[in-house]
Amino acid sequence: MKAVVLVLLILVVLALLAVMARNRLVRLNISCDEAFSQIEVQLKRRSDLIPNLVETVKGYTSHEASTLEAVVAARAKATSATSVQDVAAADGSVTQALRGLLAVTENYPDLKVSANFLALQEELSTTENKVAFARQFYNDNVRSLNQAVKTFPSSVFANSAKVSARPFYEVDDPQDRKAPTVKF
Amino acid sequence: MSAPTHNFDFRKLQAGNRRKSGELLFGMGIIVGAVVWALMTYFGKSGVAIVPVAIGVALLSVWGSYWASDKIVLTMTGAQLIDEASNKQLYDLVSEICVAAGLPLPKIAIVEDDAPNAFATGRDPEHAVIAFTTGILRVMDREELQGVAAHEMSHVANRDTLVSAIAATTAGALAILTDFLMRIMIFGGGERRDDRDNQNPVALIASIVVLILAPLAAMLLRLAISRKREALADVTAVQFTRNPAGLRRALEVLQEDTTVVKQRSTSVAHIWIESPLDGSATSKLFSTHPPLSERIAVLKAMEGQA
Repeated sequence: MKAVVLVLLILVVLALLAVMARNRLVRLNISCDEAFSQIEVQLKRRSDLIPNLVETVKGYTSHEASTLEAVVAARAKATSATSVQDVAAADGSVTQALRGLLAVTENYPDLKVSANFLALQEELSTTENKVAFARQFYNDNVRSLNQAVKTFPSSVFANSAKVSARPFYEVDDPQDRKAPTVKF
Repeated sequence: MSAPTHNFDFRKLQAGNRRKSGELLFGMGIIVGAVVWALMTYFGKSGVAIVPVAIGVALLSVWGSYWASDKIVLTMTGAQLIDEASNKQLYDLVSEICVAAGLPLPKIAIVEDDAPNAFATGRDPEHAVIAFTTGILRVMDREELQGVAAHEMSHVANRDTLVSAIAATTAGALAILTDFLMRIMIFGGGERRDDRDNQNPVALIASIVVLILAPLAAMLLRLAISRKREALADVTAVQFTRNPAGLRRALEVLQEDTTVVKQRSTSVAHIWIESPLDGSATSKLFSTHPPLSERIAVLKAMEGQA
C-alpha cells in the first residue's frame, strides 16, 4: 500500500514538472510574439515621423532630392514586410537612409536651428533608441526560447506545443561592424 | 547562429547576485529558527504561540508601506509627477528603458533638490514610480541619465520593493520577539519555569546569547541584502542598455559630488541610487549601498569585455 502511494506521488510530481516545462515553452513563445510586435510598434512610430521630417528638410534644402527620395523609397518598401528577416532588412535600409539624410542636414545651419527640426530630431533619436532596444529585447527573448527548445526537459514538449526555435532579428548595419571611420 | 549582441557576462553576474541575496534571505530564516529554538528552550513549547503574533504585527507594519509604497514615498520626498509635455527628454529616456526592459511605463517624478540622486519604488511594475532630483537632471548628460534610469528600472524589474519588504518584515518580527522575551526574562522570570523540564544550563545560556545577537544579525543581513540588490540593479541596468560606460560615468559624477539629499530620513535611505546617509565614517557593514568605487570598478570590468 505504501509503495503504491509513493509511486502515485512521484507520478503526480513528474506530471506537474512536465506541465510547468510545457507552459514555460508556450510562455516564452508568446513573449517572443509580444517582443516582435513591440519592434513593429516602434518601426511604425519611426515611419510616421518620416513625412514630417522630409517636409521640414525640403523647406530648407535645394539639392538633396535624391537623399530625400531614398528615405521615402525605403519607408515605402518597409510597409510591405512581414517576416522577421524582411522586416529586419527593411528596418536596416530605413535606418541607413535616415542616417544619410541627417548627415546632409549638417550642411544647412538654418535648418539645424529651426525649432521644428530640433523637436523632430529629439523625437527621431528617442525613436531610434527604442527601435534598437526593442530589437535587443526581442533577441534576448528568442535566445531564452531557443535555449528552452533545445534543452531537456522542455525540449520534449517543443513538438506537441507547436513551439520551435525562432530566428534572431539581425539588421545588416555597416556601422555595427566597427569599420574604421573616416575623419575629416 | 548567435544573437547579435555584445557579449558581457552580465548574466553570470546577475545569477551570482540573485543567488547571494537568496542566501541572505535564507540566513534570516535561520535566525528566526534560532530564536524560536531559544524560545522553546527557555519557555517550553507553549512559548511558540507568540511567534505568529510577532510575525503578524511585523506584517501589518511593513505591508501597508509596501502596498502603498508609490504613494507614501511620493509624499515623503515631495516628488512631483511629470508628463510627456513638461519634460520631454526625461520622459523619452525612461520610456526607452521600458522598451529595453519590456516593462510598462512607470509614473515619472521630479524632486526639488540640488543633490544629484534618483530612486524607484512601487509594489509591482504596474504601480512603479521613478523619481529624479532637479540636481541630477542638471549635472548629468543624456547617456548618464539613461544609465541612472536603467538602474532604477532594474529595481522595478527585480521586484526590490518586495525583497526589502520581506527583509524588513523578518527583521521586524525578530525585533518584536526578542524584545518581548528579554522583558519576560528580566521581569517575569519565575512564573512558567515548570514548563522547562530536564533543562541543561548550556542550552539556557546559548538561548540567551541567541536572543541578544539575533536583532543585530538580522539588521546586518538586511543591510547586506540591500547592498546585493544594488549591485544586482547595476548589472541589470547594463543588460537593459548594453552600455556600462553610461552608468559608470553617472556614478563617477555622484562620487565627485559632495552635496547630499536634504531629507536624511533613514526610512527611505535605501531607495536612492546613492545613499543619502553617507559622509560620516560609517563602515561598509552598516551601509545600504556598496561603496561607489566598488560599483564603478564592476562596471569598468564590464566595459573591458564589450
